[in-house]
Amino acid sequence: MFNSYPGVPPRGGWQIPLLGRCCWSVTCSSGALSLLIILNPLGTCGRAQSYTMKFLSLFALLFPLLFVACLDDDDVVSPDTVATSIDFVATYAGTDLAIQSGTYAYPTGAQLKTTLFQYYVSDLTLLAADGSTVPLSELELIRYGSATDAATVTRTYNVPAGDYVGLRFGLGVKPALNALDPNNFAADYILNENEFWGPGTRYVFAKIEANADLENDGTFDTGLSYHLGSDALYATISLTGNITIDGENDPRLTIVADVLKALASETETFDISDVNQQRVHGGNQAIGQAIWERLVGQFKLDLR
Amino acid sequence: MVLRLLTITALFVLFTAASCDPDPPVVCPACPVDVPDLPITGPATPTAFTLEVPDFMPRPILDETNPLTEEGIELGRRLFYDKIMGRDSAIACADCHRQELAFTDGRALAIGVDGREGTRSAMSIVNLAFNPNGFNWDGAAPQLWEQAIHPVENMLEMDEDWERVLQRLRRSRDYPRRFRAAFGIGRTSEISRELAVKAIAQFERTIISGDSHFDRVVYRNTEFFTEEEQFGADSLFFIENVPVGANHPGCGHCHNKPSFGDNKFKNNGLDDVANLDDFMDKGFGAVSGSRLDNGKFRTPTLRNIALTAPYMHDGRFATLEEVLEHYASGGHGVENEDPNITGFTMTAAEKEALIAFLHTLTDESLLTDERYANPF
Repeated sequence: MFNSYPGVPPRGGWQIPLLGRCCWSVTCSSGALSLLIILNPLGTCGRAQSYTMKFLSLFALLFPLLFVACLDDDDVVSPDTVATSIDFVATYAGTDLAIQSGTYAYPTGAQLKTTLFQYYVSDLTLLAADGSTVPLSELELIRYGSATDAATVTRTYNVPAGDYVGLRFGLGVKPALNALDPNNFAADYILNENEFWGPGTRYVFAKIEANADLENDGTFDTGLSYHLGSDALYATISLTGNITIDGENDPRLTIVADVLKALASETETFDISDVNQQRVHGGNQAIGQAIWERLVGQFKLDLR
Repeated sequence: MVLRLLTITALFVLFTAASCDPDPPVVCPACPVDVPDLPITGPATPTAFTLEVPDFMPRPILDETNPLTEEGIELGRRLFYDKIMGRDSAIACADCHRQELAFTDGRALAIGVDGREGTRSAMSIVNLAFNPNGFNWDGAAPQLWEQAIHPVENMLEMDEDWERVLQRLRRSRDYPRRFRAAFGIGRTSEISRELAVKAIAQFERTIISGDSHFDRVVYRNTEFFTEEEQFGADSLFFIENVPVGANHPGCGHCHNKPSFGDNKFKNNGLDDVANLDDFMDKGFGAVSGSRLDNGKFRTPTLRNIALTAPYMHDGRFATLEEVLEHYASGGHGVENEDPNITGFTMTAAEKEALIAFLHTLTDESLLTDERYANPF
């Protein structure tokens, strides 16, 4: 009936006082205080000047230690591992997607202002030249939903140095996670009820929302809302590229998704003026099938 | 070399020692007279509190910097209901957040001290533990405890100087020991604004609403919908299986179960403005700094919606019928309106069914739950 939650969230494990990172971070954040303590065990500021040369020599020895202590343990990684960023870039017809502020031409002659573009990435994996794989992430939600959002969403992973031949990921929520209801997760986790239709249709794998000016009268008064996804639509995408990661001059891995390419190809354009094609959601995926297939097929990997 | 090192060291020591001189007293004729700083005795080790949440709801978002404790929650409940928090000890948080109205006030716009009318409607404060975004209609408060700072100071709300509130709390015969019990402090001078609002936030975070007729039908399987309620839910509210081209309200886009509000900021088509700078209340735009966010407000929960009239951020709609008529009209085609505001037609029977469904979201037990009630 009820789930119980201790009143404070669990932290990332306990640290041993004076041995772990905790000790040093305290020293660093209160450097001046530490100096006083070292200089003045009697605890009175006014007498500090009267200490002997012996004590000052001790201080001189200890002073550099403070700075050594300030090194951030978080930065220490295995020498064979390189912090590698992947940029997820959204575009419209090849230009960076500007949520709300960009006005985009649609092939039918209409104009669009995009208000939301998002998609899930499951099991993001690097493909090594020797045939092995390096899993980077189980699930990401890549979202461009606010006028203040940049067109680039960056995720950083620790990657073993080596030669790679590409990337692989599932577009959507992989079946194992798609089977879990949102109440299995925290309210601020990316698999929450806002992305969940219901027990029969599960999570929304991708969303494209826009306001269209169909009549070219300057008013963007036709809402378009394409919410796509189902276990049957889940698709694995592989992108190739020769990537050498060694910590020096590494390429910037950039996964590009283009909203227009999802809505229209050179030979096929989704008719947004058809009132029956302005909304796709839930069990109503048939009319969005072509959008989904184009979305799956248009991802590309740039090495910048 | 040694001499130079010693000279630098001596200068540093002098500098450090000089910084220990006490600051000169601040001359402030308008400042309130200091309250004597007294030691506080009594228990000082708070008891960790375990928050119970219905199993169909997600895991609540807890604040690592403000862990829930029994003493903190009880202190927060008292502060929430105590008029000591307002100007001249004349108004409490609970005056605008009344339990019997699902913690709203029944007014279009909140009324503060001296009957001053605010600019927005008092929000229901249930299920705040599930909000991942900023608090208030416009998201201005990143943390729940920060939210409680502003209403005390706002001249249209409680209009009080925090320093005077703290003086009253420090002078109180009861509160110092409660602050000590909740936060382990040793002196009355340690009673601070931050501790007061953190206690209030602890109490607010425990207010969970999840025992409505809807919950008992859908999650507990102990009750049944009427035909009308069922029709309202399946055919008009939720969006899981909407036929192509259906004339559907699509409420579930933003008000999906179990929270019935996505806590995101959207323009739901209320105002017909010529351009985005013309919104009287810029809402989220004033917080994000982007004019493209002007006129956007939080999607509130629809839990207990039958009790929380009037509706919208400014209470412009007195009834649920008016709300449905607004959404049916499809907004005004303003460029930053949410694309899911599409307009629809509905028969009188459909409207009644949708409203019947909305009434299933009332959690009667919330209204009398002793844990959330006035402790005085």
